[in-house]
Formats: sequence, structure tokens, C-alpha cells
Amino acid sequence: MSMEQERKLKNGNLIECTNVCKAFETPEGEYQVVKDFNLETRENEFLVLFGPGQCGKTTIINMIAGFERVTGGSIKSQGKEISKPDPSRGVVFQSTALFPWMTTMGNVEYGLKMAGNKKAEREKRAQKYIDLVGLQGFEKAFPVKLSGGMKQRVGIARAYCNEPEVMLMDEPFGALDAQTRYLMQEELQRIWEAEKRTVIFVTNNIEEALYLADRILVLTNCPATVKKEYVIDLPRPRNLVSPEFLALRKEITGIMDSTL
Amino acid sequence: MIKKKNISDKTINVACACISIGAFLFLWYWGTAFTKLGMLIPGPVEVLETVTAGFFGKVGRHSILVHVGYSMIRVMIGFIVGSVFGIVLGLLMGWYRIAEAIFNPLFRIIRPIPPIAWIPISIIWFGLGENAKIFLIFLASFSNTTLNSMAGAKNVDREVVNAAKMLGANERQIFTTIVLPASVPSIFAGLQVAISSSWATVLAAEMVRSSEGLGWMIVAGMNNNDMLQILSGIVMIGVVGFILAIIMRKAEDILCRWNKSGN
Amino acid sequence: MEEKIKVKVNHLTKKFGDLLVLDDMSFNVTDGDLLCVVGPTGCGKTTFLNSLTKIYDITEGEILLNGQQVNPKKQNIAYIFQGDSTMPWLTVEENVRFGLDIKGLPETKKKEQVEKYLEIVGLTKYKNYYPKQLSASMLQRVSIARAFATEPELLLMDEPYGQLDIELRFKLEDELVKLWKLTRTTVLFITHNIEEAVYLGNKIMILTNKPTTVKKTIVNDLPRPRDIAAPEFVKLRNQVTELIKWW
Repeated sequence: MSMEQERKLKNGNLIECTNVCKAFETPEGEYQVVKDFNLETRENEFLVLFGPGQCGKTTIINMIAGFERVTGGSIKSQGKEISKPDPSRGVVFQSTALFPWMTTMGNVEYGLKMAGNKKAEREKRAQKYIDLVGLQGFEKAFPVKLSGGMKQRVGIARAYCNEPEVMLMDEPFGALDAQTRYLMQEELQRIWEAEKRTVIFVTNNIEEALYLADRILVLTNCPATVKKEYVIDLPRPRNLVSPEFLALRKEITGIMDSTL
Repeated sequence: MIKKKNISDKTINVACACISIGAFLFLWYWGTAFTKLGMLIPGPVEVLETVTAGFFGKVGRHSILVHVGYSMIRVMIGFIVGSVFGIVLGLLMGWYRIAEAIFNPLFRIIRPIPPIAWIPISIIWFGLGENAKIFLIFLASFSNTTLNSMAGAKNVDREVVNAAKMLGANERQIFTTIVLPASVPSIFAGLQVAISSSWATVLAAEMVRSSEGLGWMIVAGMNNNDMLQILSGIVMIGVVGFILAIIMRKAEDILCRWNKSGN
Repeated sequence: MEEKIKVKVNHLTKKFGDLLVLDDMSFNVTDGDLLCVVGPTGCGKTTFLNSLTKIYDITEGEILLNGQQVNPKKQNIAYIFQGDSTMPWLTVEENVRFGLDIKGLPETKKKEQVEKYLEIVGLTKYKNYYPKQLSASMLQRVSIARAFATEPELLLMDEPYGQLDIELRFKLEDELVKLWKLTRTTVLFITHNIEEAVYLGNKIMILTNKPTTVKKTIVNDLPRPRDIAAPEFVKLRNQVTELIKWW
């Protein structure tokens, strides 16, 4: 390992994207979705990828997760090329992707069970995260009985329970109504403060991005690449209507690509 | 509030079922009692009497209940063996592309052949005993469960599979903890069809020389020109088939609790 | 200016069995209002809407439109929902024309209306496209053109922009305001998004949690176009948030 790489690891550069490209073959020819995308995460930072709908953000997350392969450049996790999904990276999906035939407990402890942990041990750890996301009392409920916000809490607890080093969140609150969304943003902020992790969070909602982020990468519309980087150092928890917040919101919305 | 509504819905359904069955029985009764139809078939009252008499007395060598029992054992063996094979093969074909490539062409050729067409072959292969009958029922349940299990495994939500991979599940674990349970609702849809067609096939199966069972009752009735016996056999096939379907539905309700929403 | 009452709701009450969902709601909508209705999540919003449109029978009370019992079959009420409600087998132009065909207007009048509203929402260029070829925001524009083209007595909108990017949302909201000013149609706009309600409405009606009743109606006379960062805007937004906040 080179000195440079060692330095990066020490600084918590868990995920490193270098000139990442992704193209899909279509009948009309090659379709470029991501082009020369670069990213380096810092330790325990909340990093937001912000861009218009369908701009290729999800493809980036899928590649970091290991669901899809890059067609150019490289994505490394702790210095190693990413080739397939791995429990060291947790994913929270917009669709929640809960296992509907399992209870809250069953969903949350799934990763530990697959790894062969003993029942008592995994239930203890799962319970810790169920409590953390505020779902005590719903351990035995199946997902169909839970509201949208509660399902996403299960999704967050499930990803956390594997104690991954990086959390990837792909528009987790995109399907929720505006008010539940505010509530979940406050909750996620609380959870992240309690259990610090490096988070890469994808959204097309500027308020959400500004409320949560340490750093925002504004992406261009398809093909996606970094247009501008913002370091957000407003004190937390943030006030959605403070003049500084609204000014930043206006500025970032202004440089965002239109999808019309 | 939702519960209340369900109960009233259920009551309406039961009431409608009673009315339609009642109307059918009445038409049957009226037709046989007052029109020329009476010369062709006996009325419901006589059939009911024959069935009741059959419960306590004998039709051929056994009472009706024993005939039902014989048919039931054959159906159950054929159905269970056929379903197990069908579920395993279907899930494999739905999940692993290579399994589909190997088995699907063969399966597509065999599937459209009706069970009755297999009678001669089954006799040549298995002789005239129980095995030939069970084989026919096996075929009837096998193709239905295979098809539905395959559809179930094919339609497993990719995102859910990704979630499992992300949490560290290996290939085998994904098959047993994700693909299998996710396919349960469509497997049950297949079993539902399979149990009905297995039961319907019992008649064909028992045409292959037998001396007991509901199929035999009908075949024997035909040979003796005993319309009452034929109709008793038909009525019993219908009633038992109906009961089996209800049992399957209940089993599904219990196993697929997670699939039902509502409070 | 003389104010004509368009919709009058008296003691609207809806029960499902023993469960009280709407509790004795009374309010008026003045002719030409753009009334934004906001309430906490799970506040019986859907029941409220379905009662207004007579999809549900109401338990008690009455709803009057132009002084008559509301009846979507006889009165011209248009709806726009969150999802796409265009008909995939019709072109954009045919979709907009659809509402007019039902009304049985003369051909020239129909043509005129369709062209006028397609122009306003900026879809003239796309009139021969099918819905599948359009983006989500364009589909919402088709719905809006279709609704306004019928010149409805009342337009009900149920979170039509809930899933759109913020910037698109503002564009469509501006367009709605433009259409509303032009036609003076009475609009009832239901949303969970407080900022959207403050941005759009000339009145804001705040609902309570279940059993739902009207908590307060606020007149919103901020000048347009509105600036979401202006102190008066923020003040009003905070005021509404305080009245709703459940989380």
C-alpha cells in the first residue's frame, strides 16, 4: 500500500470514486448516465448527492453498493475495488425493500442471522437498533401493518444492525408526505448523532439536503458529474427558515440543472 | 370499522351462495318433477336419498365414505408428491437461468398433454394397480404447481434480493430465505388449482380398473345404467372438491399472514 | 367588492361505524378563492375530499355549491390528483379535449378551448405526443389544461405536485396561479406541504388531527410573485407550522 493510500485511509477515506463512468447499451446506441464522477468520503461525514430527478444519482449509489459495475474509472472501498455487495456497506432503499414475510425483528436481525450469530445475541443487538429508531412495541409487526415512515425506520435499523462502515441512502424519504418527511429528517439526524457513520445520502429535495448535510455535491443532469461542492457548517439541528438556510437554498436551487 | 364491513360483506357472500345453490336445486327439482327432464335424470331428492343411503349402506362393496376415503388417499399421495416436485422444479427454473434452459422446453411439451392421454402409458409403465392412478394425479398437480412456483420465483422483487445481498446473504441463503418465502403466495395459487385438478383427475384415474372410489362409482353406474349412482358420485366429487378448496384457502390465510394488509 | 359564496359547508360530519372522522366542519369558500387546505398527516384528508365529491355519503350536514346540494354528476367539478390521470391511449390534445367531449360543446368552441389551454401550459408543441412520451411534470400540465378547459365551477386538487423536484414544483405552481388569475376559477388545493400552501393560497385553511375539524382559516395577502425567503413569508409559514405541528 502506498503512503498516499495509507494517509487516505487514516483520514477515513472509506469510499473513493475516481473518474467513474457508467453507460448503458440501448437500441439507439450508448447512453451515458454517469461521467467522470469523483468523490472521497471523510470520516463520519454526512455527504449528500443532490441533483434533479432521474439524473443518475441512483446509478452512482448502486455502483458504490456493488449492484452495478462501472464502465469506466474505479470505485474503491478502503482501498479495494468494489465488485459486489458487501455487509460493510449498508443500504437504505427508497422502496424500503423490507422482507414482507418477516416481522420488524426478523428484518432487523436478518444480516446477523445470515452471518450465523446465535439467536439471543442477535436479538439483543437488533433490539438496540429497534429502540434507536423508536420502534419498541412493534417488534412482532409485519411490514404491511406499518405506516410509510415506520417502514423506513425498520429499513434504517436493518442497515444499522449489521454495523456497516458506510451507510448508503437512496432517497429514503422520497415516497413520504411532506410532514412525515420532516419528522424522519429530524429522526435521521438524531440517529446519526447517536451512532456516527459515514453516510452517503441521495436526494432531489434541497431542504432535506441542507438540513442533513455536512457536505453537498450538486450533480449535473444526465450524465451525472459533480457540478459544485458545498460545505455546510450551519449549526445543528438546523432551522429550515433561518435567513442563512434560505439563502443557501436559493443559491443551490439556482445552479441546479432543469429537467424540464 | 373495517372489521364490521368485512363481516357484512361475508354475510352477503354466504347469502348469495345459498341463494344461487338453492335456486339451482329448485330448478333441478322443478325440472325433473314437472317437465320431460324427469325422464332423463332423477331429481335432487332421490339423489340425496341415494347418497344418504350410501353413507349407511353399501354402494358396491363399500359405503360412500369408504369410497371417498379410497379416492382421497390416491389424490393425497399424487398431489403431495406432485406438488413437492413441482415446487422444487418451478423455483429452480424461476430462479436459475440454467435450470430454466434445461427443463423448460421439456416441461412445455409435457404440460399441454391432458392426464387422460397418459392412461395407456401409465398402465404399461405401472400396471393396473395403485401406482398408475397415483401417477395420473401426480401429473395433474405437478404441472400446475411448477408453473406457478416458477412465476413466483421469477417475480421476486430485485430490490429485496439486493437488500439481502447487502446484508451478507450468500447464494444459498438468498434462495431459502428470500426466493422461497417470497414465492409462497404464487405457490399457493398453484396448489389451489392443483388440488382441484387432482381431484377432478381421480375419475380418470379410477377408470383404470378399480373396484372402489368415487370414480369407480360413476364408471360402475354407467355400466349398470344406474343414473342414481352416477349422480351420487358426481355430487360427492363436487362436495369433496369444494371442501378441499376451502381447506387450502385457510392454510394459505395462515401461511401468508404477512401478505394481508388491513388493521 | 361583493363577495359571493361559492361553496358552503354546514356541519359536515362523517362516521365510519362508530369512528368519527370528520367532526362538524363548517366553512365557506368565496367565489374565486384559491383555498389551500393543510392538516397534519393522517388528518382524514382523503375522507374530507371524498365527502366533498360525494364519493362517500356524509353522515350529517350539507355541502352546497352555488346554493344547491353538491352533485358531481350535474355540476361541473374538476379534479387533479397526485398520480398521472391522463389516458395513455389518447394524445395530449385528445386528453384535453376529452372533458369537453363529455360536456357536448360545439366543435369550434372545443377547438378554441383546447388550443387556448394548451398554449397557456406550454404544450402546444407536444399536442400530438402520447402521455408515455412525456415527463411527470408535463403530464401534470396536461391534467391542469384538461381541468381548466372545462371551465369548472370548482377545481379540487389533491397534492398534485407532491413527488416533483422543488424547482419544477415552483414552476407548476406559478403556472397554476397564472391560470387561476386568468379564469378566476374557485380552487381547493389540498396539501401536506406548508410552504406550498403559503406560496399558493389566498386563504389557508388548517385542519386538526382526527376527528377532523377546521382549526383556523388564515387570509394570505402576501404580494405575488411570492418570495419563500422573505421575512413575511417565513413568518406566515411558521405561524401555519405551529398550528399544525404534530411531530
